[in-house]
Amino acid sequence: MMHTLVLFPFFALIILNLPLRVIFRRLSFWVVFALSLIQIFLVFFPQNAFWGTHFNFLNTFFRFNLSADGLSMVMLLSIGIVTLTALLVARQMITDSDRMALFCSLLLIAMAGMNGAVLVRDIFSLYVFLEITAVASYIMIAFDKNIFSFEGAFKYLVLSAVATAMMITAIALVILFSGSTEFYLINYAIRASAHTSLIVLSLGLFLCGFFIKAGLIPFHSWLPDAYSSAPAPVSIFLAGIVTKTTGVYTLIRIFISIFGFNGQSQRILLLAGIISVVIGAIAAITQKDFKRMLAYSSISQVGYIILGLGCASSLGIAGAILHIFNHSVFKSLLFVNSAAVETQTGKTNMDEISGLGEKMPVTAVTSTLGALSCAGIPPLAGFWSKLLIILALWVGGLHVYAVVAILSSVLTLAYLLSIQRKLFFIKGNSEENSQIKEAGFGISLASTLLAFISLATGVFFPFIINSFIVPFGKIFGRF
Amino acid sequence: MNTNNIFLPIIIPLIGALCALVSFKKLRFLLESSAFVIAAVNLILAVILFKENISLNIPWVLGLEFSLRLYHFSAFILLSVAGFGFLVTLYSLRFLRGKEYANQFYGYLFLTLSLANGAVLANNLILMLFFWEGLLLTLFGMIAIGNKNAFQTATKAFIIVGISDLALMLGIALTAYLAGTARISNIHLPLDTLGSIAFILMAIGAISKAGSMPFHSWIPDAALDAPLPFMALLPASLEKLLGIYLLARITLDMFILTTHSAMSTLLMAIGAITIILAVMMALIQKDYKRLLSYHAISQVGYMILGIGTAVPVGIVGGLFHMVNNALYKSCLFLTGGAVEKQAGTTSLEKLGGLGRNMPVTFICYLITAAAISGVPPFNGFFSKELIYDGALERGKIFYLAAIVGSFLTAASFLKLGHAAFLGKRSEENKNIREVPLSMLIPMIVIAATCVIFGVFNALPIKYLIQPVLGEGLLEGHNFSGFPTNMFLVAVTVIVLIAAFLNHLFGVKKSGSGLHASDHIRNAPVLVKIYDLALKRFFDPYEWGLKFSRLLADISWAVDRSIDWIYDKFSVNLTYSLSRQISALQSGNYSLYVVWSLVGAMLVFVLFFIK
Repeated sequence: MMHTLVLFPFFALIILNLPLRVIFRRLSFWVVFALSLIQIFLVFFPQNAFWGTHFNFLNTFFRFNLSADGLSMVMLLSIGIVTLTALLVARQMITDSDRMALFCSLLLIAMAGMNGAVLVRDIFSLYVFLEITAVASYIMIAFDKNIFSFEGAFKYLVLSAVATAMMITAIALVILFSGSTEFYLINYAIRASAHTSLIVLSLGLFLCGFFIKAGLIPFHSWLPDAYSSAPAPVSIFLAGIVTKTTGVYTLIRIFISIFGFNGQSQRILLLAGIISVVIGAIAAITQKDFKRMLAYSSISQVGYIILGLGCASSLGIAGAILHIFNHSVFKSLLFVNSAAVETQTGKTNMDEISGLGEKMPVTAVTSTLGALSCAGIPPLAGFWSKLLIILALWVGGLHVYAVVAILSSVLTLAYLLSIQRKLFFIKGNSEENSQIKEAGFGISLASTLLAFISLATGVFFPFIINSFIVPFGKIFGRF
Repeated sequence: MNTNNIFLPIIIPLIGALCALVSFKKLRFLLESSAFVIAAVNLILAVILFKENISLNIPWVLGLEFSLRLYHFSAFILLSVAGFGFLVTLYSLRFLRGKEYANQFYGYLFLTLSLANGAVLANNLILMLFFWEGLLLTLFGMIAIGNKNAFQTATKAFIIVGISDLALMLGIALTAYLAGTARISNIHLPLDTLGSIAFILMAIGAISKAGSMPFHSWIPDAALDAPLPFMALLPASLEKLLGIYLLARITLDMFILTTHSAMSTLLMAIGAITIILAVMMALIQKDYKRLLSYHAISQVGYMILGIGTAVPVGIVGGLFHMVNNALYKSCLFLTGGAVEKQAGTTSLEKLGGLGRNMPVTFICYLITAAAISGVPPFNGFFSKELIYDGALERGKIFYLAAIVGSFLTAASFLKLGHAAFLGKRSEENKNIREVPLSMLIPMIVIAATCVIFGVFNALPIKYLIQPVLGEGLLEGHNFSGFPTNMFLVAVTVIVLIAAFLNHLFGVKKSGSGLHASDHIRNAPVLVKIYDLALKRFFDPYEWGLKFSRLLADISWAVDRSIDWIYDKFSVNLTYSLSRQISALQSGNYSLYVVWSLVGAMLVFVLFFIK
């Protein structure tokens, strides 16, 4: 039944875009809303009949090899949450109903692509789903049809083309030495194969492709431009989940399901991670545009996730997965807040905005929570995942990395608190601010929900550790 | 008698303190009468408890025990404290009338009495320390309510006494560790290396409470800034009683001090130095209260010298001198207060000829000044003779210091009396009248006691002091009555006559009583030392202040430079790095692709580096 997660968005897309779309146009928001809610519900209350892999009539038509482990479940949950958030914000910001219907269609395509990517167990199908997601993303970035958004979209397109070339070459090499595209068959072939140079070449190409998708330094250059030029709901969607699924999830997946770790690949991951953590954080400090600052912050946070993966231990991978989830929550939250500020003031340059705290209390409070979670301040969610990652680094004997990671948290705190202070807490120009009101219901609802999730995940972490972290340990116990 | 009555001397003044602190300023009569009643009840209680022998041990928190002991020594001190407390309260009733801080003063006074009673009764070192440190707070409070400089002086006193209390605390910890118990009556330690350290630390606490050098420098400042009854109560009497009581307990019970030990010599040296230096400073003062305050320091030297001799005659002399000093010194301060109340000043340059206006005060001054100078047959003469006896037994140098001190004491009191009560009377001082009766009574009572303790010195020595030493230490001696060593008496008389002649010489040379000591002040070598001393060059507190300022400057510089690293260096470094990284983001597609390819090459290079 897992196929429905991929197929229903497609069916919905087709039906909503039939010639009768005048009728369906108003419905499209609710369709996406319902689909993402159902997805969240299914993860929280797992139905054996749904997640089981036994054959049913759908399998006879669609011969995908799908299965869901803990990692896939977390990704599905994040996809649901972020899609819902982007949808709520889009409803607020996109007033034209035709364009809203178009946006919903794009969301459906991206959702289907990402759901497929996290469930599929076949390397070529994975590539196809990534491309589906990417195509939807290009269009979404250029949604506003102005020069900046075209430029951002085009940069993403160019760099993604490089990534695609690398991935497709790697897949060809994999087929060459294993003769198969199924994860477990490739894994067997790698263990038995003597073609070590081919394996290394394919793994290196995969790594570079996914590094581009994930936006790690020095493969990051498209990311700040794309995030900052995209419309607000698209920024949320891109930063919250698209790059995490297409870049980070895929990296974790090829390591735990196909290639396994060795000394060299671990070193590459750790180096890429730590460089991204430090340089992303430093670059964020002087940004004037808060969306651009959040983009650099994303690079830095992805660095933490890759550091966790680079530990090659179950603790580190558990921390990495938890940080993916936490990051999609708090980074979406911060982008929702930036959308709120952007809609209410019409500006994104931090030097021109100040003292919004009194006028926009919900935004001020939720963004402070998001920032503190991002900086890893207890008891918020971000603290626990960073703690797990740093613990894993320390336990793994990687003391230098652990110390640098901790010190970089200070930088994170520095740029995030300075943004909070500038936008919300210092006294602003009261004349300029006199017309400003709190953002609308949809944005406030989204930010409140996300802040609540971030807070609840942190406060109830002792319960979460038993239901999420311990199972991760079992899944990846063999590494 | 119920053993719980031993709590009463602590609780009753405490209740009085609380009542006084919360009382309204407008209800002056209620405040004054209740203060009088509490002080009187405290005195009556001390009299009733005087013959009692009570020991009380109650288990307390953390394995400590709440241990109080009333026996002849503590009962004796208790009675003295209560007596001075009562007389000072009586005196303050008029002296403080109309002062803003009256209720605070009474509050601190009774709190001081309560804590002092507790410290005297405590039979556990930790408990004693609790009361002892509490006295530090009331000391601070009582100085701080004085004039506008008082807060600074209070801070000075607080720091000096606080540091010495810290030494006491360390000493108590070491003593309790060495003895294995904190119950005072069970401690008898030999003076080995660690024992000597513990002894010195505890002795520092004791002698600094008594006001010995080098812990004295707050007292002359407080004499000018604090309310006068405070001076009569604390530095003049109560602190001497407590400090010397503790010193006596240390030397007699807790440690075994013999005449051979270095500790004994050390104490005697401190005593001798204190006598000489403080009295030298007293000699040149031009303010009534400040001059007295230096004597309050100098006289401690005699007590420490006497107890430090570790021979029975010296110890008896030291303890007797403690009582005598408390008597005449508080009375002298009270006469100073009387002069201040009536003349509005204590500066000797503005006073003069007051003897005719205030005859009773003058007579009280004469008696107590004679007593402090050691003129027979007043009490000071007898205690000093006993101390001379002990000092001579231990070394001529100590005797010499004591006798020189006596000479200068007599000279300075001749000067003070001459300048304040005799000589010319200025026009504005013509209408000054005698102080009211309630201020006269305490002075008369104390002056009379000075005479009685002199003429009938057997009364205090036999019944109060000799029991403290016990029969074992006394070896059947009886030190009451007229001194037996006629040589010492003869020397004393000669010294006193010499002091008188010196005064006449000084008056003749300078032309006034106030400047009678100027020939000593201006003597060849002394003039330089005096000039330095007046600039506070010899005040350890000033050294400490200078040192602290130096430390503060250094710390400030270090702090600034660390701050610079945090606030300027690292921030600027981060910002410039950040700007450079941002500048790389030029928007050039081909450059972006090149970076990605360079990254890919790095990945492969890393793969092939083992």
